[in-house]
Amino acid sequence: MSVRALRWLLVPILVVPLVLLLLHGFGRDPQAIPSRLIGKAVPTFSLVTLDGRTVTSTELRGRPVLVNFWASWCIPACVEEHAVLLDAARRYGSSLQIVGVLYQDTPQGARTFGARYGEPSWPTLLDPDGRLALDFGVTGPPESYLVDGQGIVRFKQFGPLTQAVITDQVGRLLSAAVGGGG
Amino acid sequence: MLPDLGHAAIVAGLALSVYAVVAFVLAARRRDSALLSSARRAVYASFGLAALAAAAMVVLLLTHDFSVLYVARNNATTTPPFFSVISLWAALEGSILFWTFLLTGWASLVIWRTRGRHSALVPWAGATLASISTFFFAVMTWPGNPFTRVTPVASEGPGPNALLQNHPFMGLHPPLLYLGYTGLAVPFAFGIAALITRRTDEEWLGIVRRWTLVPWIFLTLGITAGAWWSYAVLGWGGYWAWDPVENAALLPWLTATAFIHSSMVAERRGALRIWTSALVIATFCLTLLGTFLTRSGVIASVHSFTQSAIGPWFLAAIAIALTGSLGLLIWRLPGLVGSERPAAPVSRESAFLLNNVLFLGITFAVLFGTLYPLAVEALSGDTVSVGAPWYDRVNAPLFLLLLFLMGVGPALPWGAASWGSVRDRLGVPVITGVAGVVASLALGMRGVAPLATIGFALFVVTILADELVRGARSRARTRGEPAALAAWRLATRNRRRYGGYLVHAGICVMAVAIAISATQGQDATATLRPGQAMQVGGYTLTYQRLVQEPLHDDPRVMETRAEVSVAGRQSGTLATALRNYPSSTTPIATPSVQTSLGEDLYVTLLSFDPASSTVTLHALVNPLVVWIWLGGGVVGVGAVFAIWPDRRRVPVAAAVAVGPVAIMPPIREPMPDSAAPSVQVEKA
Repeated sequence: MSVRALRWLLVPILVVPLVLLLLHGFGRDPQAIPSRLIGKAVPTFSLVTLDGRTVTSTELRGRPVLVNFWASWCIPACVEEHAVLLDAARRYGSSLQIVGVLYQDTPQGARTFGARYGEPSWPTLLDPDGRLALDFGVTGPPESYLVDGQGIVRFKQFGPLTQAVITDQVGRLLSAAVGGGG
Repeated sequence: MLPDLGHAAIVAGLALSVYAVVAFVLAARRRDSALLSSARRAVYASFGLAALAAAAMVVLLLTHDFSVLYVARNNATTTPPFFSVISLWAALEGSILFWTFLLTGWASLVIWRTRGRHSALVPWAGATLASISTFFFAVMTWPGNPFTRVTPVASEGPGPNALLQNHPFMGLHPPLLYLGYTGLAVPFAFGIAALITRRTDEEWLGIVRRWTLVPWIFLTLGITAGAWWSYAVLGWGGYWAWDPVENAALLPWLTATAFIHSSMVAERRGALRIWTSALVIATFCLTLLGTFLTRSGVIASVHSFTQSAIGPWFLAAIAIALTGSLGLLIWRLPGLVGSERPAAPVSRESAFLLNNVLFLGITFAVLFGTLYPLAVEALSGDTVSVGAPWYDRVNAPLFLLLLFLMGVGPALPWGAASWGSVRDRLGVPVITGVAGVVASLALGMRGVAPLATIGFALFVVTILADELVRGARSRARTRGEPAALAAWRLATRNRRRYGGYLVHAGICVMAVAIAISATQGQDATATLRPGQAMQVGGYTLTYQRLVQEPLHDDPRVMETRAEVSVAGRQSGTLATALRNYPSSTTPIATPSVQTSLGEDLYVTLLSFDPASSTVTLHALVNPLVVWIWLGGGVVGVGAVFAIWPDRRRVPVAAAVAVGPVAIMPPIREPMPDSAAPSVQVEKA
């Protein structure tokens, strides 16, 4: 091979590694912290709510569920997120079930929080021994998981939910449900 | 319907851009002037369509039309009009629309300015620019449609990115940067045209140099404005963090700056043609890479928008641009070699060569640092990050050497310098520099980097002043003009040279300000109850009270403000706040920056406890920071001065009659050492 022809090797030598490198980085959300639960079935549970009812994981099947781990001491993130959740509950009505899970907090704290920042229209589960938080792999509140109608975890939000995230993720799930179910 | 109109404009823009590519290429091959005119008009029309689409988006944002997904995600009914307008570049799709608007604007401008001239180059340059526009219109037609609808229509949205609405500078920093980025497509297009037509000649260099300088100015100002914004908004007290996206803007700036210098050698000596073409190509590819890094979410950064389907398109564009232009360069290489002449070791050419080596060195270091974490992750799965200390350590010596060269270059003549003339020119500047270092040491400053920066900066500024004084004296003597008038005329008749010197002076100011503010600042952090005080760098800050209230112009934004009274070199009161935006997961800092020419007092509220009104404050005394922005302004003024069109044309015949210097057309500046009357033939 002549020297002149070898020059052409410069193109692939420069281009291919760069493209491969960038290709590798694709599709990753730089802020994402991976969760093992994505694509898996939601952990089963049967827990008592703040107002004494019992909620089990099986009875939540059939529509998207937003499981939100929070605490009254998580300020200001949970306060901020609370407003977003109240808004989402209003907007999506019965097409989205929100479930709050109290994380390392007392029922009294949760009640004071609700009185101060707006009573939630959704149930708040008490998780006194932190069992459910452990099953989900929660690192700290607020943290949320979006579960589809079949009980498969589809999305994890690390940190407070924002309106944009909810619009995006819930919208995707709802439109998929409409498209898939006919 | 407005969204339909916007989308239709984009589709029509795509069709016209494709047509323009074909028409330009056919016009070039058949030398068909009617087809060429038609292609030009297609470029103008595509600009009009991009402008229409952008205007439609602005109206949708201003009217809070939440039926459009982009508006629903980036606007709220309470968003003030100014922030609604600038939400055009708040997120991915809008940015690309804005980008396309600017790109087609540049393309139209250059096509219009070159009408009737450069007939060999323009069709190919036009085809290249139209290809780039095609890409952006296609992105907006398919994966990144900014006018995508959403149902059900929300009654309220989250508002723009909180960081975007926190400071009016967001109205300035992105557009300047985008103007720089998109403008660099023009020299790239002419680079490709030159390679295709095998014309890397004087004419080509002239066009490319001018059309690089203008976007370079925007890029420089955009980067400076970004640093300023970061300083005023992010609340960490600094202005540059070597964030991957900051680096992405810096990389093309580095190669463009290297190009501006090497083009002078190419113009003067006919050398470095291949090198110069390669720099133009590299600059554009780096802007594409920068866009990719910013917009694909490949690299973690405060700038990254969330991941999207646009990434693969950009990656394909990078691969095509890189393969195509590199291939073309290699193909044409044999025709470009041969005009090179070796430079004398001590000459201005050598200084420029070394300058280019240093700029490339910094470029590689920054590129390496930016991509390294990605490579490590790809190969081993480990997550690493390259921090600011690494960049500082690697780049500081290179920047210092560049600073030194900035003085040496102008003092050396073209060709070969004699040691005697070098001594004569550098003697006083070296003494000034050393005196500056000694004075700084006496004032108590320590550290190699800041001292060297001061020494080199004084050295450079003395040389630049000396150049101006020598030239003005010589002119005053031969023309009998008063000194000030002689200096002004000398400068305005050698705009490139003296504008360049002013740019260098601005860089010196920035360099000193950066070196001193980065190393000589003081800071303190304290948790205070109302009435308690903290000390920092000669200031006493007394925390008065905590105020929590919604913002006046957007009641959905909650502001928590610590009011502080200040005693010291500056005194009075200040308020530093954290703001909670509905669209943001974390509170946004609103630091208080009290600026004076000597130093800034910078106070950030780190955290607060509303129950006890306790706050944690971080206070910094940053010396000379304001000079970074002022120096940036001087750089901008100098660059504008350099490219300002010279209306006064010297009749060539008259100029040739005056002295021997004017006979050689490539030389457009007076020989610095020559006592002969300075005669310049500067083409407008």
